[in-house]
Amino acid sequence: MTEERSEEIEGKMELSHDPVPGYRTIFFVAFAVGILYLGFILFKTL
Amino acid sequence: MINPVPPAAIFIIAALLVPLFKGRWKSAYMLLIPVVGFINLISIPEGTHWVVRFLDYDLVLGRMDRLSIIFGYIFHIISFIAILYALHVKDDVQNVAGLIYAGSALGVVFSGDLFSFFVFWEMLTISSIFLIWARRTRAAMGAGFRYLLVHAAGGLCLLAGIVLYVNQTGSIEFGYIGLSGLSSYLIFFGFGVNCAWPFLHPWLSDAYPEATITGTIFLSAFTTKCAVYALARAFPGTEALIWIGAAMAGFPIFFAVIENDLRRVLAYSLINQVGFMVVGIGIGTHLAINGAVAHAFNDILFKALLFMSMGAVMYRTGKINGTALGGLYRTMPLTCLFCIVGAASISAFPLFSGFVSKSMVMSAAGDGHMRVVWFILLFASAGVFHHAGIKIPFFAFFSHDSGMRPKEAPLHMLLAMGIAAFLCIFIGSFPGPLYSMLPYPVDYVPYTIPHIVGQTQLLFFSALAFTLLMLAGIYPGEQRCVNLDADWFYRKGSRLFYLIMDKGLNSLNKVSDRIFVGGLAGFFGYISKRGPEILTLGALTPLWGITGAKGKELKDKIETTRTALHTHTSPIGISAALATVFLVVIFLLR
Repeated sequence: MTEERSEEIEGKMELSHDPVPGYRTIFFVAFAVGILYLGFILFKTL
Repeated sequence: MINPVPPAAIFIIAALLVPLFKGRWKSAYMLLIPVVGFINLISIPEGTHWVVRFLDYDLVLGRMDRLSIIFGYIFHIISFIAILYALHVKDDVQNVAGLIYAGSALGVVFSGDLFSFFVFWEMLTISSIFLIWARRTRAAMGAGFRYLLVHAAGGLCLLAGIVLYVNQTGSIEFGYIGLSGLSSYLIFFGFGVNCAWPFLHPWLSDAYPEATITGTIFLSAFTTKCAVYALARAFPGTEALIWIGAAMAGFPIFFAVIENDLRRVLAYSLINQVGFMVVGIGIGTHLAINGAVAHAFNDILFKALLFMSMGAVMYRTGKINGTALGGLYRTMPLTCLFCIVGAASISAFPLFSGFVSKSMVMSAAGDGHMRVVWFILLFASAGVFHHAGIKIPFFAFFSHDSGMRPKEAPLHMLLAMGIAAFLCIFIGSFPGPLYSMLPYPVDYVPYTIPHIVGQTQLLFFSALAFTLLMLAGIYPGEQRCVNLDADWFYRKGSRLFYLIMDKGLNSLNKVSDRIFVGGLAGFFGYISKRGPEILTLGALTPLWGITGAKGKELKDKIETTRTALHTHTSPIGISAALATVFLVVIFLLR
C-alpha cells in the first residue's frame, strides 16, 4: 500500500458498541460502589 | 583528534547533502548522521563553547550543561530511530526537512543566548511545516497553513518579548527569566504556543495527524520537547505552569476518547503527557524538574513508538480510523506487540519507562501537598491508559475484524520500533542510567510496594472501567467525523472574520470605488477634458450674441472654437482673453 491511499477515508460511518445484556446493571453497581469508596477515602483523608 | 563542532551544524549541513546520494548510499549516509552527531556530542565537555561575537553581543552556540545534554542525547537517539523508520521514503523534501528539524531542535537546546535560540526556534517551525505539507493532500496543506499562522503569531510574541527583555537587561544570555513584566510574559506566551497550552494547542491535534507517516515521528519528538526545555530553563518554579500543566493533562482525555483518527488520539495524548512535564516545571523542586526532564526523555521514546506502530498500520492498510481498522494482530503481530509496549509505557505500567518518570512529578506534587493537582494527575494517568493504553492497540489490532489481512511492517520499521520498545523496557526496568543523566542528583526510588500496588490498582480499575463501558454499550461509538475543540474559535471565527471583512471592508471598498473612481475621477476627467471648452464657450457665446452674431454665423463660431480647443489650436486672441480672465480672477481672489 502506498501512503497516498491513506487519504481515502473508508470503513464504517460509526463503530457502535452494542450492549451485552446484564452488563449495564453491573456497570452502574460498580460505578456506585466506586463513587462511595472514593467518597469514603476523600472524607477520611481531606 | 577532530575538534567537536556545534551539534546542530552536523544535522543541518548534512541535510543539505542528502539529495546528492541515491539508493543504499543514501540510507547509510542518513543513518550515519545521528551516529556521528552522537559521537561528537559525547566528546564535548560541559561548559560554554563556540562563542561568536555579533554586533555588541556574544552568541553562544554550545552551552553544555546537564539540562541541555540530556535533551541532546534523546534528540540524537530519536533521530536515529526516526531515520531508520523512514528508510523507505524516497522523497527528499521529507528527508531534508526531517534532518533540518532535528538539527534546529539541537540548536535550540544548546543555544546559550536568546538571539541564536530564536533563530533555531523559527527554523524548527519552518522545517516542521514541510513534514506536514509533504503528504501533499488538501487536508495536509490546510493544516500546514494553520500550523504556520499559529506558530508565526507565537514566534512574533517571542521576538517582541526577547527585544524588550534585551532592551531592559542589556543581556542576551538565555537563562532564568521568571515572570516579571511584559517582556517575560511575551516570552512565556511564545513558549506556550509551542508547548500546546490549552486553547493554544489545536495546531498540534490538527497538524500532526495530517503529516506524513514518517514526519509525525519527527514532529512528536521535537517541537513540544523544545518548549518543555525552554520552560525548564527560563521559568522553573513558575506557579502558573502548575495549573496550565494540570489542565493540559486533564482536558485532552475527553477529546481522545471520542476521537476516531488514531493518530489524532495520540496527538491528544501527547498534550496530556506534556502536561505532566509542565506541572513538574511549575513545581520547580529538584525532584519535579528531574521528573519533567525524565518524562520528556521517556515520552519521546514511547510516543514515537506508538506513532510508529500506527504509521506502520497506515502504511500497510492505508487507513487510520478506528471505524476502519481492527483484527490486525493476525497478520501484524510484531507491530501489535511493539504498540502494546508503547501503550504499557505511556500508561506507566511497572517495568515500563513511564512508571519511573511520571511518578516523580506526581510525588513532587504530593510532597508539595498539592492535593487538587495530584488528583488531576491521577485522573490523567487513568485517562491516558484508557485512550492511549487500551484504545489504540484495541481498535487497531483487536476489536471488530475489519477483514483486512495486510503484511507485517517492513523490516526497517520493525527494527526502529524494536529499538524504541527495547529502550522503553530497559529504562523502565533499570532507571539508573536515566537518573544519572538528569539535571539534579536523584534520590528517588520508583519501585516501592505502595507505588507498584497503587499504580497497578489504578491501571486495572481503569481497564475494568473500559471493559464495563464497552460491554454496557455506554462507551461512545467512534464516528467518521472531524471533532473540533478550541480550534472551533479560529475555524468558525475565521469565517466570521471573513464575513465581517467581506461585508464590511468590501462594501466600503465598493462605495469608495463608486465615489472616487467612478464619480469624482470621472467628473474631474470630464472637467479637465471639456472644462476649457465649457468655460470659453460659456463666456464667448453671450459676447458674440451682443456683437450681433446670430443663426448660422453663431453656430459656425461655436463649432470653430470647439474644434480649435479640441485640437489645441485655439487662436491667440482666445488664449489671451482666457489668460486675462484668469489673471482678473486671481486678482479678485487675492
